[in-house]
Amino acid sequence: MIDKVVSVIHFLSRLCGVIAAFLLASACVVVCYMVIIRYLLGQSTIWQYEFVIFAVVSATLIGSPYVLLTRGHVNVNLVPHFLNFRARKYLALFSSFLAFLGCAVLAWASWLYFYEAWVNDWRTPSIWAPPLWIPTLPLAIGFSLLSLQFLADIYSIFTNKLDLFKGSPIKDGIS
Amino acid sequence: MSPLEIGSLIALSTIAILATGIPVAFGLIFVAISFLIFFEGLYSLNFLGELFFSGLSDFTLISIPMFIAMGGAIASSPASSDLYGALERWLYRVPSGLAISNIFACSIFAALSGSSPATCAAIGKMGIPEMRKRGYSDELATGSIAAGGTLGILIPPSVTMIVYGISTGTSIGRLFISGIIPGLLLTLFFIFWAIFYESKNNNLATSNKKIFSFKEKLELLPKVAPFLLLILAILFVLYGGVATPSEAAGVGAMMCFILIAVIYKVRNPLKIWHILKESSGESIMIMMIIAAASLFSYTLSSLFVTQSIAEWIALLELNRWFLLAAVNIFLLLAGFFLPPVAVIVMTAPILLPLITQAGFDPYWFAVILTINMEIGLITPPVGLNLYVINGIAPDVDLTKVLLGAIPYAVIMVFTIILLSIFPEIVTFLPNYLMGEI
Repeated sequence: MIDKVVSVIHFLSRLCGVIAAFLLASACVVVCYMVIIRYLLGQSTIWQYEFVIFAVVSATLIGSPYVLLTRGHVNVNLVPHFLNFRARKYLALFSSFLAFLGCAVLAWASWLYFYEAWVNDWRTPSIWAPPLWIPTLPLAIGFSLLSLQFLADIYSIFTNKLDLFKGSPIKDGIS
Repeated sequence: MSPLEIGSLIALSTIAILATGIPVAFGLIFVAISFLIFFEGLYSLNFLGELFFSGLSDFTLISIPMFIAMGGAIASSPASSDLYGALERWLYRVPSGLAISNIFACSIFAALSGSSPATCAAIGKMGIPEMRKRGYSDELATGSIAAGGTLGILIPPSVTMIVYGISTGTSIGRLFISGIIPGLLLTLFFIFWAIFYESKNNNLATSNKKIFSFKEKLELLPKVAPFLLLILAILFVLYGGVATPSEAAGVGAMMCFILIAVIYKVRNPLKIWHILKESSGESIMIMMIIAAASLFSYTLSSLFVTQSIAEWIALLELNRWFLLAAVNIFLLLAGFFLPPVAVIVMTAPILLPLITQAGFDPYWFAVILTINMEIGLITPPVGLNLYVINGIAPDVDLTKVLLGAIPYAVIMVFTIILLSIFPEIVTFLPNYLMGEI
C-alpha cells in the first residue's frame, strides 16, 4: 500500500519536472518575443515581462520535487561519506526529516498566501494586473509536493530502498 | 541575547545542519525558519510565503536558466569537440601544444557555458584521453583540465557573476567585463605552468606526429566561429547597455538552439527535450538555493545580525589589508565546503559593505571572490571539478588528480595577491569601457 503511494508521489514529481521544463522553454520563447516587440518593432510590452518572471518562478517551485527525486539538489556529503551504512541511514533519516519540516512549514505558509491572494482578489501592480493567486499557486503546490517527496524519501530510507549518500561525495551540477 | 551572539549561533547551526548532508537549499530554509520562529514567534510565519516568492520574482534572475540552457545546448552538441580539434590543429607544433590547447579550449568553452563542471566535463572527455595517449603525465592531463574548467565561473558570461550582481545590486554587464582580463591572465599563468611542468619532466617530445595542412587548419573554424560571435555579441549588447542580461541570455539561448540545429543538425525533438530537462534541473537547483538564501538573509537582517556584524567590524578599525586577508581566508574556507552560488548569496551582501567601506572596488572584489570559489572547486573536500575528472578518467587515482591540480590552486592564490597589489588589472577594462564608478 505505502509502496503504491510512494510510486504515485514519484509519478507526480516526474510530471512536475516535465511541466517545469515546458515553463522554462516558454519563458525563453517569450523573452525572444519581448525583445522583438521592444527593439525591432519599437512597441511597449504588456504581459511578457511578468509572464516570464512567473514562468521561471513556477518552474523553479514546481520542478523542485523532480530535482529532489533525481538527487539534483546539491548537498555536502563529507560527513556521511565517512560513516558506515547504519550511521549513514540514521543521518539520512534525520536530514530528510529536517528538510521535510522546513518544506511543510513553507507549504502551509504558501497555501495561506495563496488563500489571501484568492479571497482578497490581489493583483500585481502592473498594466496587465493578473490575479496574484495564479503565480502563488505553484509556490503552494511545489512545497506541498516537496514535503510529500521528502516523506517518500524517509520511507524509502527507512525500508533500505534508498541509500541517500551512496556514490560520489558530491553531486554534479554546480556552476 | 545580542545580535552578534545570535549571529554566531546561526553560523554554528548552519554548519552543523549542512554537515548532515541535507540539500543546501533546504538546510538554509530550515535554519532560517527555526530562528525566525524562535526569536520572533509564530507570527512571523504569516509572511514566509510572500518572502520566499519575492526572493524569486526578479527579472534579472531569468538570465540564470537562460544562460544554463545556452551552455547545455552547446555542451551536448559536437561544438566542444570541434573547438578542441580546431585549437589542436593550430597549436600542434608548439611544445606542450596539447596541454595548451586544452587550457585554451577550457577558457573558450568557459565563455560559452558559464559553468565550471560543464567546462571540465566537455573538454576533459576529449582532452584527458588524448593527452594520456600522447604520453603526458596523468597529473598534468587531469590537473590542467580541472583547473582550466574553473575558468568557467570567471570568464563571462558567468552564472556566479550574475548571482553576485543580483545579491549585491551591482551591474552584471560591468561584472562580466571585469572578469575578462583576470580570466585571460589566469589562462596564461595556467599555460606557463603546463609548459614549465612538461619541460621539467623532459616530456617535450610528445608533440603530434601528424602534420595538418592549411586547409585542415581552416576547416573547423566556420563551425566554431558562430558560437564565439554569439558570445561577443552578448557581451557587446550588455556592455553597450542595449539590452538587459535576461534579454541577452534569452535570445542567446534561442540562438544556440538554432545554431546547433543548423550546424550540427541537432533537430531530434527527443534530444532537444533531453537538453531542456538537464538544464532545467540545474537551473532549479541554483534558483532554489538563491530563494532559500534570500529567506536566510531576511532572517539575519530582521534579527539585526547583518547590521551588527558591519558595526562590529567598523568598530575594530582594522587595517584594510588585514580585513581583506581575513575576508579572503574566510571565503577560501567557505569555498572548500560549499558550492560557489551558496557562498555568494549568503556572504556577498554582508561582505560587500565592509569591503567598499574599506575603499575597495565592488567589481574588483567580485573577481577576487570568484577566484576564491575557483580554488574551492579543485581542492578537497568538496572540489567538484576533481570529482568530475574522476568520473571521466576513473582509472586515474584521485590523489594524482589532486596533485596535478594543487599547483594551479597555488597559482590562483598568487593571482589573488597580484590583483590585490595591482587592482587596476581588473578595474582598467570596465573603467575604460564604461567610465569610472
